[in-house]
Amino acid sequence: MSILRYAIDRILQTIPVLIGVSLITFLFINALPGDVISALYADQALGEESIRALEERHGLNESFFERYLSFMAGILQGDLGYSIHYETSVTSLVLTRAGPTLMLTLSAFAFAIVTAIPLGAIAASRRNQSPDHLSRIVALFGVSTPSFWVGIMLIVIFAVTLGWLPSGGLVYPWRAPGHYGFDSQLELYVQTVQSLLLPMIALGTMQMAMLMRIERSEMVETLQRDYIQLARAYGVSERTILRKHAFREAQLPIITIVGLNISTALGGSVVIEQVFDINGIGKLLLSAIELRDFQVVTGITLVLAAIFVIGVVITDIAYAYIDPRITLDGGE
Amino acid sequence: MSSNPLLSVEGLTVQFFTDRGTVTAVNEISFEIQEEEIVGLVGESGAGKSVASMSLLRLINGPGRIVEGEIRYKDRTLFALEEGPDGEPRKREDMLSDEEMRTEIRGNEIAVIFQDPMESLNPVYTVGNQLQEFIKLNRDISKKEARSEAIRMLREVGISDAAERYEKYPHEFSGGMRQRVLIAMALACKPNLIIADEPTTALDVTIEGQILDLVQDLQEKYGTSFLWVTHDMGVVADICEQVNVMYLGNIVEQAPVDDIFYNTKHLYTDALLDSMPRPDRTVERLKAIKGVMPSAIDPPEGCPFHTRCPDARQVCEQTHPDLRDVSDDANIIHRSACLKHDIFNVNYEGSLPMTDETKRQANTSAGTTSVNETGADR
Ligand code: SF4
Repeated sequence: MSILRYAIDRILQTIPVLIGVSLITFLFINALPGDVISALYADQALGEESIRALEERHGLNESFFERYLSFMAGILQGDLGYSIHYETSVTSLVLTRAGPTLMLTLSAFAFAIVTAIPLGAIAASRRNQSPDHLSRIVALFGVSTPSFWVGIMLIVIFAVTLGWLPSGGLVYPWRAPGHYGFDSQLELYVQTVQSLLLPMIALGTMQMAMLMRIERSEMVETLQRDYIQLARAYGVSERTILRKHAFREAQLPIITIVGLNISTALGGSVVIEQVFDINGIGKLLLSAIELRDFQVVTGITLVLAAIFVIGVVITDIAYAYIDPRITLDGGE
Repeated sequence: MSSNPLLSVEGLTVQFFTDRGTVTAVNEISFEIQEEEIVGLVGESGAGKSVASMSLLRLINGPGRIVEGEIRYKDRTLFALEEGPDGEPRKREDMLSDEEMRTEIRGNEIAVIFQDPMESLNPVYTVGNQLQEFIKLNRDISKKEARSEAIRMLREVGISDAAERYEKYPHEFSGGMRQRVLIAMALACKPNLIIADEPTTALDVTIEGQILDLVQDLQEKYGTSFLWVTHDMGVVADICEQVNVMYLGNIVEQAPVDDIFYNTKHLYTDALLDSMPRPDRTVERLKAIKGVMPSAIDPPEGCPFHTRCPDARQVCEQTHPDLRDVSDDANIIHRSACLKHDIFNVNYEGSLPMTDETKRQANTSAGTTSVNETGADR
């Protein structure tokens, strides 16, 4: 089977999953108390009459199934519904907010991977020596500290006390430099990196800690394999053993973890966007829940679910690509 | 025996320093391997065979260390200690450094084949990639030359479509085929000695036979010496010329293969032979060796085999027999570590036999001498 066929197959398999997610979200949100009309007009005393008129206009008086079906019909055309609060389509809302979130999440992952893999590998090769102990402490700190706290501490130290980096807001590299009053493209990029640094670390720390421990234990396990001992017996240097012979097989579980953790990181970005005042999907989601703007909540949930599922599929494909033992026909 | 062996091991002792205490995995063993000779190292699992063989390459993992002995290969010293000025043992000057061991001995002089062909190849690289890497490293030739050499060797070990199979991953080979690949790998590095650590144990009997035939053919052709580590006396009979029998870290008998089989001089070897099927003997049923091998953490005093030996006497509990030549033929050196032989001169005949009762005590509290309840008829 070609890798393309395999990819298409796997993507088609995700459709039932996404339908399930949409149904569950729809159900839960309908079970929440409060509604968008009373949230929106909380300060105005609306009469029965006008409430009913508003409900009718937004289709809120229809039955659950009718609303779900028309929502799904919209989805098929790429329409995630209409936000009553923002008075615009959810699709365009999500699209404008997706950039910052993606930038934040991807950079957090890049940070986690780039730091965790070498650190984990070094810890494994110097087992029970000081680099290993150090990595254990960092990992313990990383997984046990909530990301918002890391974020706040980073702001306090690097923005408030030292004044090196901005405390919040993101500079978007896709905007024109003039928008921020910068003179050159280069300055824009420098500012982007500076504004991204703290939220990226705050969001990536936990991922980094987790990946580092997994990398370490995978490396330790791989280093004990017979083929490693055989390489030693044939005079291969420890450096080559670490870099070539042990490294590749040890990365296989890392790929899975990264794929599955995309959802955790997206969840984490909801909090980090709040802390660093970043106008991403996460912030939009929180305010939509507060405002009972259910169309927006459902739409975002579905988009996040889709991203997660796509992440899993990409993981599978990458795995099949790297591990020769996995055949694309499903079985081994 | 010629005076200039390819490899000689003198008083090699390897200990593991674990949390539960010091384990002597290999206890002062000595043996030699001549040019173009296949030497067997036999014993049950846990006898210390693998540790002994890997220490020849100075590849002992974790808490293990060679603490004593001398290993010589040709005119080079792979391991030797001397007493330092502070009275502590230190490396002797002529001992090779780690770097020299890696670049000058491992692979190009002494190669290995492991037991499990499934585990010995890296699953994420092609067979060719690994062959090429090891050959290139040990023969100092270009990548291209290493490739054609690898393909030639694959053909040599009986792999058809060698050029095509070269590009395949290990999981696309059967167990027997993988072991052929590993033999090709070892031979292609042109070593003078190959350590084969139970290389056929994981294979079924027909494949095992094929591999043994192949090794014999190639050994004759290339003149490589082998140290063949196994628990299988049948394999020993098939291919070895000289045999060392190990029990609990000690070599207990050492002789040419025919003498081991037809003029056995140690009761452990006897027991091993009784536990295997032999074409030259018909027996009602095979006898398993009685009891279990004691733990190496707390080995019995005296003869290490006395807890299971059918002929053990009280003296066996008190005296640790070293390996001595007990041959009655001046042309043959046949060493045994059994007190029954006159050369030990410990009055074995006059010592009272151990009963099952005293043996059991010795089993549970190894090392404590029990003198009561003896004299029961056996
Ligand atoms: S020394 Fe004693 S116990 Fe050891 S093998 Fe000989 S007879 Fe048996």
